[in-house]
Amino acid sequence: MNHRILGAAAVSVLVAGLVMALGVAPREVAQGNVQRIMYVHVPAILIGYLAFAVVLVASVAYLVRRGESADRLAHASAEVGVVFTGINIATGAIWGKSTWGTWWTWDARLTSVAIMFVIYLGYLLLRGMLEDRERAARFAAVLGIVAALDIPLVHFSVYWWRTLHQPPTMLKPGAAAMAPAFAGALAVNVVAFALLYTYLVLKRVHVLRLEQEVLA
Amino acid sequence: MPDHWGFVLAAYGLTAVVLAAYWRHLVRRERELAALRPRRPNPGPATGAAQGSPS
Repeated sequence: MNHRILGAAAVSVLVAGLVMALGVAPREVAQGNVQRIMYVHVPAILIGYLAFAVVLVASVAYLVRRGESADRLAHASAEVGVVFTGINIATGAIWGKSTWGTWWTWDARLTSVAIMFVIYLGYLLLRGMLEDRERAARFAAVLGIVAALDIPLVHFSVYWWRTLHQPPTMLKPGAAAMAPAFAGALAVNVVAFALLYTYLVLKRVHVLRLEQEVLA
Repeated sequence: MPDHWGFVLAAYGLTAVVLAAYWRHLVRRERELAALRPRRPNPGPATGAAQGSPS
């Protein structure tokens, strides 16, 4: 699919998601309107998980076949994943301040997300530090596989430790606990973020290819 | 609980700014690199044989 068409589709669904989140979805009884931050906060971490899962798969593919396209995909997905995880942490801090009264607490969920963010920042730094492209790709692929171990740790931290953070809204065992009006708005925003992720990754892959052509 | 619309707008505004800034960074980098990219040699005018004309 053409980049522009995908970008236009992502923007259209983002606008629809914004209307659903701020206009259509009802006001939550316990938290009030501040709960609307969820429609950005939750999709951001789900896309972060997706991005880092793609890094894992592309890293394995690179180590097996040594294809440059797999390496470029891992690099691009890690960078976009860091952007989405950063958004998740920042919006979580804003939500935390209004509901818990604090921007940050060393809670198991918050701490494990912060560790995941720093690990993937380190992944990007490692790629930037090594001049030999093949060596950088190989080391990054190993780190991309090891780093993925943190994804289930982040997601299940709310079950494994006593935390201030609520249990997962999505990707949890059992029936959905959310009313359809909230779930619908959340689903539209997850789709919007997924489209935006795909667009940004394809764009970053294209830029990486251009960088390699120029530096070759 | 009071409605903290300011927090909601801050969260959405921050998200929009971060995503727009990252997208702009990619577009700028793409333009810079496209300008630096070595041009492929021009294949030159097509020959009659290439056009399929009878010889």
